Amino acid sequence: MSDNGFVGLVIISHSAPLAQGLAELVGQVAGPDVPIEAIGGGPEGSLGTDGGRVLEALQRAAQGSGSVVLMDLGSSVLSVKAALGELGEDELALLRVADAPLVEGAVAAGVMASTGDDVDGVLRAAEEARHARKL
Amino acid sequence: MPASSELATLVRLPENVALHARPAGMFVREAARAVAEIRVEANGRSANAKSILDVLALGATGGTELVMSASGADAAEALERLAELVSSLT
Repeated sequence: MSDNGFVGLVIISHSAPLAQGLAELVGQVAGPDVPIEAIGGGPEGSLGTDGGRVLEALQRAAQGSGSVVLMDLGSSVLSVKAALGELGEDELALLRVADAPLVEGAVAAGVMASTGDDVDGVLRAAEEARHARKL
Repeated sequence: MPASSELATLVRLPENVALHARPAGMFVREAARAVAEIRVEANGRSANAKSILDVLALGATGGTELVMSASGADAAEALERLAELVSSLT
C-alpha cells in the first residue's frame, strides 16, 4: 500500500465484487488520496475468505500512516483475527480493526482518512457509523 | 463577539448536482478543515456537516436550498468557503 501520508483502508468481504464495489464507492466519496485495498472471496474465486491473502494484505497495510481494517461477517472476522496473530508488534501498532457496519463504516472511515486524520481518528469515524440513522 | 454566537448562511445546490457521493465527500472534507461546529439543514433534516453519513442522509437533490450554520472561531470563514464550494459543484 502506498505511503502517501494518508491512513489506508483494507476492506475484507466474502465476495470479491462486494469488496471491489465498496472500494470504488469509498474512492468516489473520499477522493483519490486514500489507499484502499479490497480483498474478497475464497481461494478458488468462490464466496468465502482466503486467510493467506488476508494476511498478506494486512502486512502491506501495516506501513506508513497505518490502516483501518473493515470486514463483513463471520469468517472474514475470524480470518482477520487469525492474521493479526501472525503479525509483529510493529505491524500491529499501525493497524486498527473496526467493529463497524461495512458499507457505512468504510465510507465514514474513507472520508475521515481523506482529511488527513490519524489511524485512531479514522477508526473512530468507522465505529461511529454504528449509530448512523438512515431514516 | 460572544463565544456562543452562531452564524448562518443559505446556499442552493446547483440544479444538476445532488449532495451525494463525490460532492458530499468534498463538502465534508471542506467542513472538516474548520474548527467551528457546522450544521447543514435540508428537507427538514439537520446534519453535522463534518459527518459524511449525516450529510448523505439529508438526501439533498439538485436545486435544494441548504441552510448552513456555524459557531466557533473560524465560523465566518468556514461558511464562506462552504458556500463557495456548494455553488461551484458540478
